[in-house]
Formats: sequence, structure tokens, C-alpha cells
Amino acid sequence: MNVLILGANGELGPHVVRALEGRHRLRLSDINELETRHEYLKVDASDIDQVIAAADGMDVIINLSVLRKDRRLAFDVNARGCYNMMVAAVEHGIDRVINTGPFYVVAGPTYERFDHMIGPDVPHQPGTYLYALTKSLGQEICRVFTDSHDIHVLDLLFYMFLDAETHTVESGSPIANIGHDLVPYTVSWGDAADAFGCALDVELDSLPSRSEVFFVFPDLPHQKFSNEKTRRILGWEPKDKLDQFWKKAKS
Amino acid sequence: MKVLTTQASSHLSLELARSLSSSHAIRLTDRIEVSTDLEFVRSDLDHGASTNELVRGMDAIVHSGDVDPAASVSDQLDYQMRCTYNLLWAAAEEGVQRFVYLSSLRLMEGYDPALAVTERWRPLPTPDVPVLCYHLGEMVCREFARERKINVLILRLGEITAESAAGSPVSPSALYMDDAVDAVEKALDAEHSGWLDIYHIQSAVPNGRYLTGQPWWSADDVSPPLSLGYEPRARN
Repeated sequence: MNVLILGANGELGPHVVRALEGRHRLRLSDINELETRHEYLKVDASDIDQVIAAADGMDVIINLSVLRKDRRLAFDVNARGCYNMMVAAVEHGIDRVINTGPFYVVAGPTYERFDHMIGPDVPHQPGTYLYALTKSLGQEICRVFTDSHDIHVLDLLFYMFLDAETHTVESGSPIANIGHDLVPYTVSWGDAADAFGCALDVELDSLPSRSEVFFVFPDLPHQKFSNEKTRRILGWEPKDKLDQFWKKAKS
Repeated sequence: MKVLTTQASSHLSLELARSLSSSHAIRLTDRIEVSTDLEFVRSDLDHGASTNELVRGMDAIVHSGDVDPAASVSDQLDYQMRCTYNLLWAAAEEGVQRFVYLSSLRLMEGYDPALAVTERWRPLPTPDVPVLCYHLGEMVCREFARERKINVLILRLGEITAESAAGSPVSPSALYMDDAVDAVEKALDAEHSGWLDIYHIQSAVPNGRYLTGQPWWSADDVSPPLSLGYEPRARN
């Protein structure tokens, strides 16, 4: 497939490129310069004309673009960027879009602080946190387009990433420390990237609807969130269990 | 009551402000200069001290979900998402008690007209930009209400229709200005649930499409039914 990646030079981008190259023809884009052996376009996701032009000839759009702190940029990229992407998909007849965000696009503090076994299909409660709300608005824009157009949007939601081999106790990490637990929504970079391959491979007719949200993290014992749907529908099988973090170190 | 009204350049906001000014102290705002006898403060509704100054001392804000059709799509989306977010943050920080968001019954047009659609039904937005903007604006408001940062009332207004059109065929969701003013007046004073209150507002017209004035009933069996008290004026 011909795959456009928006925001390819972010933290997740290089991992996704490694997971997909060789199997798909990649067109990478980012607002920043990027050295790559793949086709590259400098694209501002908030510029509708640039996004439409970048999507020409593509079969799939993967949206990894993200801005977290500046209010104007967060709305421009996280919310309006999705509008631009969906207009581009309509314009070019692209029927598969893979969007991304954090889990609190769906499950903000009103879920996360209170509940367990939270799945991706609950009504969205992002709250007012800028990153969560702007990404949730973007996801809703995508969903509204799928009601009117034959486009499937698979929304892959993440939170914490780590490299299971190099993430050591010496790092003093606040998200995960060996034998001292981890944030109960954490995934290895490699497993996260593999989810994109699954989202490209899944038959669109097998999806329950044209807008589906997936929680991407391995089986964790906390049971705070549920990844059951991701495994069942996408066939995603994480390799890194991360159990060295949630099992006590042997004394 | 001190009331800030946005989108002063729109016909709806200006008419509302004129009518409300007989009983409230009105401050109008817009991103462009507007000539008016009422107090006017130009504001971009950006993230910053000027938006806080704009809302400081207000008891309520009436924020219109109308978009300027002459503006670019990007600007329309930006106004209804980012500017609404900025306005709500500033209002919450400055202790404004009530936020009235003027949305549209166009969000419910996807239902068969034969159905008894009320505020409890799920909105059916489309990618049509004005409709999408109302939906996204409501979504921003909803999250502030959910966190109880400010009391939010959403009025989904029918199609604003000139009184001179009475007698000729009008939209089944027509809303005459006097009824719109009455609904906003009531929204400024009505008892509030403390959560998010949504009301459908249209005038009494032949084949009126939407039901109005029905009390909200909460599933907790404790809260009394809540009503805006809006009754469209009877017309011949």
C-alpha cells in the first residue's frame, strides 16, 4: 500500500517506519526537516492545502502529528489537523485512516480516577486538559466524517512508551521502575509500532463500524484498562509483557 | 445582571443584546470592530490576560455558535473550538457563574421528522462546517460542565426567521426573534442542574418539528424535573 505518515519525525514515527518499511511504500511528512531514504514532504498538518497535496496517490493516511502544550498549536494540529486529514481522504478516495492519541481521548480523569476495566468504546470523557480535549475533538471530527463517507478510521490510543531492554532501574523513571510497578497503560515502542501493521492488514469489512478505537498496551495485571478489543479485532499480539516492572524483584 | 455577548457582528447576537439591554447590563464583543450604542470590547478570544479582562465582573456569558460564513473553514473551526475553550477557561478563572451556548437544532436534522426528538437524543452532526462547528463547540462546553468548572446551558436554536415571514411558509424549525430572546432571558435566570442543561428552542409554527418546553427528568429519582420555562408565543 501507499502510506502517507503525518508527523513522521515525532517520537513514535521512526518506530512505525521501521515496522512498515519493506512491506509498504512510505511517504513521510513532518513540519520539521527529516533525513530519510523514503519519500519526504515538509507538511504542516494544520494547513489544509498542504495535507491535501501530500495525500495525492496514497491508499492510507497515518496521523502521528501531535502538539501538547501551546493552546493555538494544539488546536491547530490535534483538532483541525484531523479535519484537514479527513478532507484529504475524501478528496483522494482514501478509505483507510489510522489516527492516534492518548487513552484520555476517551477516558479522562472522570473514568481513569474512578474505574477499572475501562474499554475504548465508552462515551468519550476527555475533560478539559488541553492535550486530551484537542485530540478528542480531532477523533470526533474523524468519526463524523465516517458517518457521511466511506472511510474507515482506526484510532490507536497509547500513553507511555518504553524500551523494555534499555529502560533500567537506574533511569529513575517516574513511569516504570523494575520491581516497582509501572503506569498501567504502558507499551514498548516495538509493540506499539507493530499495531500499525495490524491496522493496515485488517480487513475493513471485518470492523464493527467505520470508526473504531483501540487501546494499545500489553496484558497488565492492574486491570485498569482493557486491550481485549485490540487483540480480538486487530490480531495484535504484544511481545513485551513488561513483567519485570510489575513483579517484585527477587531478594 | 452583567452579561457578555459574543459574535456582536451577527444579526442574532446584536438583536439579542438590544433586547436584553432593557433588563441587563450588556457588554458585546467580537473579533472585528462593531458599531453599537452598547458597550463593546474587541477581542480575539485568545489565550491571555485580555480574555480574562473581557469576562471579569460578568455574571453570565452568552456565546454564539454561529460562524462567520465569510471566514475560512480553518478560522470557523478555530473559533468554535479554540476560542470557545479560551472563553470558558477565562470565565471559570474569573468566577463567571453561567455560560449560555447558542447551538443549533441543525444537529438533530438527521432524524426522521416524524420522530419525537428531544434533548435526550444523540446529536447527528455532519461534516458541513457550520453544523460541525456547533457540535464541536458543544463538546468543548460539555467537558467544562462535566468538571463543574462553570454552569453551562446549551440552547439549540431553530432557524432564525424574520417576523415579516409570518403568514408565509416557514421552516418547521423556525424561531422568531422574540422567542429567541425569551429563551435566552430564561436561560440567564433558570434554575440549573449543576451539570449540563440542554434545551431545544423553536417557535410555534405549523408542523413544528421539535418538541420544546419538556422538563428534564433525571434517573436519580431524587432531583425534581428541570425546565427552562420556555413557552413559544402563540401566533395566528
